[in-house]
Amino acid sequence: MKVTVKSWTGVATWRWVANDDNCGICRMPFDSCCPDCKLPGDDCPLVWGACSHCFHIHCIVKWLHSQPQQQCPMCRQDWKFNNK
Amino acid sequence: MANIAAKRIKREFKEVMKSEEVAGGTIKLELVNDSWTELQGEIAGPPDTPYEGGTFLLEIKVPETYPFNPPKIRFMTKIWHPNVSSVTGAICLDILKDQWAAALTLRTVLLSIQALLSAAEPNDPQDAVVAKQYREDIQLFNLTARHWTNAYAGGPTVIWEFNQKVQVLQDMGVDEDQARVALSTFDWGLERATEHLFS
Repeated sequence: MKVTVKSWTGVATWRWVANDDNCGICRMPFDSCCPDCKLPGDDCPLVWGACSHCFHIHCIVKWLHSQPQQQCPMCRQDWKFNNK
Repeated sequence: MANIAAKRIKREFKEVMKSEEVAGGTIKLELVNDSWTELQGEIAGPPDTPYEGGTFLLEIKVPETYPFNPPKIRFMTKIWHPNVSSVTGAICLDILKDQWAAALTLRTVLLSIQALLSAAEPNDPQDAVVAKQYREDIQLFNLTARHWTNAYAGGPTVIWEFNQKVQVLQDMGVDEDQARVALSTFDWGLERATEHLFS
């Protein structure tokens, strides 16, 4: 038997691989975006700190800007971006 | 109200409602208005403290910049505690000030305030008069705190001697709250409290 494929549509899913379900700052799920964005994905990425805690980049940047000391809002260690 | 603040408070509100503390009746959270900027908290006095059996109401104001700045919280129920102003209800707790972190929530803050009732910090007082009594006469402090819990928070322990002294001052025309503050301040010495009130 011979099958002729006339057309096909590729479908893919994706999700962030984070060590938590929700952003500790805005408390939105990582699979959704921060409250100021409309669509999840590359426009609202996640970032990790050297302490291994993970946030929406928009959330952690706002937090760091609002604080005199640059500390992780989860563990209060000095915040360093983990460029892995 | 800023987008992030309103969204987060709504999510937190749902989280608190589902929490085991609400189910167990140790904390409560209610909305005061439709804009989510003001809430009312309620904590049960912890067991084995002078606050046991009392219910304490807290005023919670959520700033526009939440969660980048802490919520403003004060006791609405009058309480005798070294880290709470017996006059205004203002709370001295590091996480409500410089130790605030965005990862803290209304639930964790209410639990921290409840923990503060079990473990006072008399060396970092909000109310110097209360802290002095705490340091110098812990037994009298415990009785006074228990009496306040009975008078304002629905606590079960009636201390007749204190009630009588408050009544004596009330019979002289002194306001009940003022009488209680004066007596508590002067270690329940009726004479000194009277002197203070009428001088």
